[in-house]
Amino acid sequence: MTRQELYERTVKIIRDCVPELADMEITEDSVVNTDMGMDSMNFILVICKLEAEFGVKIPNRLWKKLSTLGDVLDALQKYGA
Amino acid sequence: MRFASFFGMLEHWTGVSPDAPALIHEENGEKRTVSYAQLLAAVRDRAEVLKSCAGRCEAILADGSYDCVVEVFAAVDAGLPVALLDANAPDEALTEQLNACDAGLVWGDEDLCEELGFAATGRTEAQLGDVLFFTSGTTHRAKAVVLTEQSLCSSAYNGGALLPLAPSDTLMCMLPLSHVFGFVCGLLWGLSCGACVALGRGARHYADDLAFFEPTALSAVPLLLGFLVQRDLLNPSLKLILVGAGDCPPLLLALAAAKGIRVSFGYGLTETSSGVALSLEDDPYAMTVCPDDQIRIAEDGEIVLYAPTCVMKGYYKNSAATAEVLKDGWLYTGDLGLLDGKGKLHITGRKKDMLVFSDGTKLFLPEAEAQLSALLPGVDLALAQEKEKVVLHVYAQNGATEAEIMNTIKPWQQAHDRSQQIARAALHESPLPRTATGKVKRWKL
Repeated sequence: MTRQELYERTVKIIRDCVPELADMEITEDSVVNTDMGMDSMNFILVICKLEAEFGVKIPNRLWKKLSTLGDVLDALQKYGA
Repeated sequence: MRFASFFGMLEHWTGVSPDAPALIHEENGEKRTVSYAQLLAAVRDRAEVLKSCAGRCEAILADGSYDCVVEVFAAVDAGLPVALLDANAPDEALTEQLNACDAGLVWGDEDLCEELGFAATGRTEAQLGDVLFFTSGTTHRAKAVVLTEQSLCSSAYNGGALLPLAPSDTLMCMLPLSHVFGFVCGLLWGLSCGACVALGRGARHYADDLAFFEPTALSAVPLLLGFLVQRDLLNPSLKLILVGAGDCPPLLLALAAAKGIRVSFGYGLTETSSGVALSLEDDPYAMTVCPDDQIRIAEDGEIVLYAPTCVMKGYYKNSAATAEVLKDGWLYTGDLGLLDGKGKLHITGRKKDMLVFSDGTKLFLPEAEAQLSALLPGVDLALAQEKEKVVLHVYAQNGATEAEIMNTIKPWQQAHDRSQQIARAALHESPLPRTATGKVKRWKL
């Protein structure tokens, strides 16, 4: 899967989980907890959906280090997406 | 029932009803029930093994599993002081906490222990029966609160006295056991009442644990409650929710109550082994003081507590910090409140420079600002809260942009819980407002 495909599928899942983000521009530099206004519970929900979608598991201990969408994509790729 | 020890609690309920369920947890996708007799036997067996380590402090990287619960009870029974650490905390924080409690051995995920490169330190000053909890939010300056199994059991008794559970109840434990609210109100409250405790499967299952375990009672921090309520995830058999460890919007409590669920709000601190007051009637913010506790309001409005059975022994190896808050047996909480005409406690604010978030974590502002100043040398900065978000106020003479500042503080962000992270940097064109002694006037930011 190319980075672009991963990006598009990830953004779609984020928008599905957090409808408030439907019209917001989301780039790899978007900060997932601030630019996107996502609280920690929404973040957990999004990560779980992404893990299910791509059949990967990102260790819980790394979740706090996922600051931007780019970090999330890096982690997904690292763990097999 | 009031118990003096974890083991005594399990022994009592085993005597009453050995086959009654004590814990339910998931094993290979199925629910596995452990009776009081089985749990007691597992604790006894493990304690036998641990007795050879008596005197050393065992740091437990708490993951909320069945094995973790057995380890805590067994270690304490074997005479080991125990420190409960959050297995999901950043490496640096865990390493610092392991050193801070003088851990002599560590229990937890093998890969994690290896990753941390743990090296046993010298003899601990913690004593038999001590259980150490690290105050939440202090990821860099480890401050351990020394509680005891007796104080934790007393706190559980207080909860059970005001909000009794029946042996037929199942209490859902979804909160981290390294947080005293999770340990007491998610675990001990249920076991002290002879009820069954369902051990949650971690963050990945926040959305489906209630449907899986079908509990009748739940302890939750406001953030978790909001998540469950807004997504309609509260299960039909749920009849009681205890909310604590942070401010909770009234609407959230009302939405849960509208589902026919009794909702109680609790106030407590790590230093008091969890709750000291709980709401029992319609007004969720008018709290009844627990049986073992006395409260008075100081002249400046600070809540001061006398709770000899529940209050901490002190901060571990930090007598100066202990002396600041514990005076003649009275604990100065740093919270502001009032007692109404019926003796109910109402919380009105905070005296400390501290933010408390809806997930129960805290951020000590002077400490956080010192850390941020190290990353942004020469920059005049201060933190404040705006609609639940943390904002970094900055006067940067070097003309740094908001994006540059946010990029520079990225390591700080990554070391903190998501709810504590800085939402944005607000740039000021002049120095931040301060008092004559240099303290920032946060209300003017």
